[in-house]
Amino acid sequence: MKQFLLLLLTAITINVTAQETLPSIEIKTLDGNTTSLQKISKDNDLIVVSLWATWCVPCKNELDAINDVYTDWQEETNVKLYAVSVDDSRTVNRVKPLVNGKSWEFDILLDTNNDLKRELGAATVPLTLIIKNGKIVYRHSGYTPGAEDELFEEIKKHF
Amino acid sequence: MKKIAIFIVLILPIVSFAQETDTEDNTIFSQFLDNLSGNLETNAQWYTNDSKLGEFVDPIAEFDLRDEHVRVNSYLRLDYNFLKNFTVGLQAESYEPFPLINYYPEYNDTQIATYYANFRNEQLDVTAGYFYEQFGSGLLLRAFEERQLGLNTALRGGRVKYAPTDYFDVTALYGQQRIAFNVSDSDIFGFDANFDVSKVLEIKGVNRLNLGFSYVGKQEDFTPPVDEFDPDYEFDTSAFPEMINSYSARLDLDLGNVYFKTEYALKGEDVSFIPPSLPGTGVLEGKYFDGNALIFTAGYSKKGLGVISTFRRIENMVSTAERNAADISSVEFQFNMQNFNYLPTLTKQQDYSLANIYIYNVQPGLFLQNFGGQAGEIGNNLDVFSNFKKGSTLGGKYGTKFTANFAYWALLDAEFDQAESTYNAEFLKFGKRLNRDFNFEVRKKISKNWSSIFTYINSIIDKGVALGGNLGTDGDIKSQVAIFDVTHKLGKGKSFRVEAQHLWTKQDRKNWVGGTLEYIANRRLGFYVSDIYDYGNDNEFSTETKAHYYNIGGSYTKGATRVALNYGRQRGGLLCVGGVCRIVPENTGLSLNLATSF
Repeated sequence: MKQFLLLLLTAITINVTAQETLPSIEIKTLDGNTTSLQKISKDNDLIVVSLWATWCVPCKNELDAINDVYTDWQEETNVKLYAVSVDDSRTVNRVKPLVNGKSWEFDILLDTNNDLKRELGAATVPLTLIIKNGKIVYRHSGYTPGAEDELFEEIKKHF
Repeated sequence: MKKIAIFIVLILPIVSFAQETDTEDNTIFSQFLDNLSGNLETNAQWYTNDSKLGEFVDPIAEFDLRDEHVRVNSYLRLDYNFLKNFTVGLQAESYEPFPLINYYPEYNDTQIATYYANFRNEQLDVTAGYFYEQFGSGLLLRAFEERQLGLNTALRGGRVKYAPTDYFDVTALYGQQRIAFNVSDSDIFGFDANFDVSKVLEIKGVNRLNLGFSYVGKQEDFTPPVDEFDPDYEFDTSAFPEMINSYSARLDLDLGNVYFKTEYALKGEDVSFIPPSLPGTGVLEGKYFDGNALIFTAGYSKKGLGVISTFRRIENMVSTAERNAADISSVEFQFNMQNFNYLPTLTKQQDYSLANIYIYNVQPGLFLQNFGGQAGEIGNNLDVFSNFKKGSTLGGKYGTKFTANFAYWALLDAEFDQAESTYNAEFLKFGKRLNRDFNFEVRKKISKNWSSIFTYINSIIDKGVALGGNLGTDGDIKSQVAIFDVTHKLGKGKSFRVEAQHLWTKQDRKNWVGGTLEYIANRRLGFYVSDIYDYGNDNEFSTETKAHYYNIGGSYTKGATRVALNYGRQRGGLLCVGGVCRIVPENTGLSLNLATSF
């Protein structure tokens, strides 16, 4: 217990800064290529990353809602959304047909053994991040109906 | 209680400061902080006595004696990044004074549970310490973490990943598996290679052609058990498999709209266990059995339509870090501990509470002397996803999304000679049916502020699978579930959601009804109340009585921090997270979940 309290104290003192640096952990594209959040953010100034899963109802609600307005978002801010599926090998095969079935326009990435999810400390999905020039500038977990509008307000702040 | 109070006091500053990011003083200390990241998760539960379900009882007798009603599981992870390519990190875990019920009892302390040092550049990735890994679909090896079930199968040792080109990569590893706060008394070796043929050879019409090969070896010393009734008897260890070598090969072919994935695995000979009620030492002598698995997935997809079918046959594929964990009578088996491969249940994972009562659980093991004998499972899972466009007849103004799923799983068709301890399983024949599931879901936006999801499930499941017990002998449970889920947006981030559920069955606890009301005040704050009730339960002979499983709770989210509070009664039964299922006891109480990252 003592060790743990010490660690906690450390955790608290460092807590004035929230996580900004991007994990360099490998994730896969739907085509089987390897990439990482660091690489993706090098090629794009402003991106939104959403951790989701095929079995998560609020995640699908969020991405459905964003998909409806995604073209407008892109026209206005040029933002790109990367939807990172945390499905493990039980459900990962559903990702591609589901994405096509839903006609989602985003780039889809796979985090099959949840390495990225662990590094980001996402206890639950969905987790939404806004990344500007390689730094996490906004983070929100969970989805509530209409939250996509507030997310867009947030995106515009960093545009 | 005092410890918990301290804990909460310590956590509070994290919650309040987690958002204050823009401090730009360039001291060494703040540079240090810039490179440090971490997260904290705490799940606390206060188990209360229940007037209907009875007093709180911990299923672990030793814990029950201490009668601790408040339990806290906490996880603190820290990662520190330096010199561009290096990272070091650790995870501290605390289970005080005991773990939450339905956790493996050895999680019973506060310690640094895992630590690692990693170097990573474009081509090379080297880790010393604890690491997670998966080869292919996990048939031979998967080291992963699933906190909700208390599973952490990280390996402690070393791993090198090398990708000299963009079409070839290899991984080599060695480790001992983490078991609670210890590691296994066995060594695991692994090698994995992937070759992307389509990047080397341009083949017309082929988007991707990937080949993969894996090897996993496990070495564990064997000390023959002593037969209590015949202490002089000498166990013949001459052919005993202390080293188990397993191989797998896979192919991934993408032709654009059509794609295929297949993997075949061969597991080396391993022991089989004899139930404690039968004579002998518990370990079958002189007869060792290999295992195998085949997965074949075929998919078709284009914009607006996706179809995927997965066939899988698994025979004797349970692989545990220490062989005793594969014994059905061990505590480790009961808690799904020590598996180093991953054989998930391949049915649709449902979110709603009544849809999670009669669910299938994978049957990958060989049990020669238990029940009538069983050798594995065979079956298929099919999914269809489609989107009816806006403006079409079925699509309406906003479009309609439709998904359907069909799954069929059976025992392998096998003949057992229990006297001789041999068996023979057919390759492509279905044995006794364990599960047949048909379900579909329609998602429809009705107007600007109204949207709905309708789900229907029609399933047949073997009683032994759903409730625990012998497989294929106690009959089936046939059930149907219908669920309406309607969301109404009230503007300014406010919304209201109603969920109505009904389950029909003539077996077990008969019909159930359920409902949820959820109010979202804004993006940060939400409340809900829910109940499920087995109103049809009139089983005179059943020990189960009718009960309302009510829950009330709320959650608050701010930036990287989420706090949730819940009070209610949890229905026991099969709890599945990912593809792993475990039977959990009923309980009542107050729970607090906190997660934050920095």
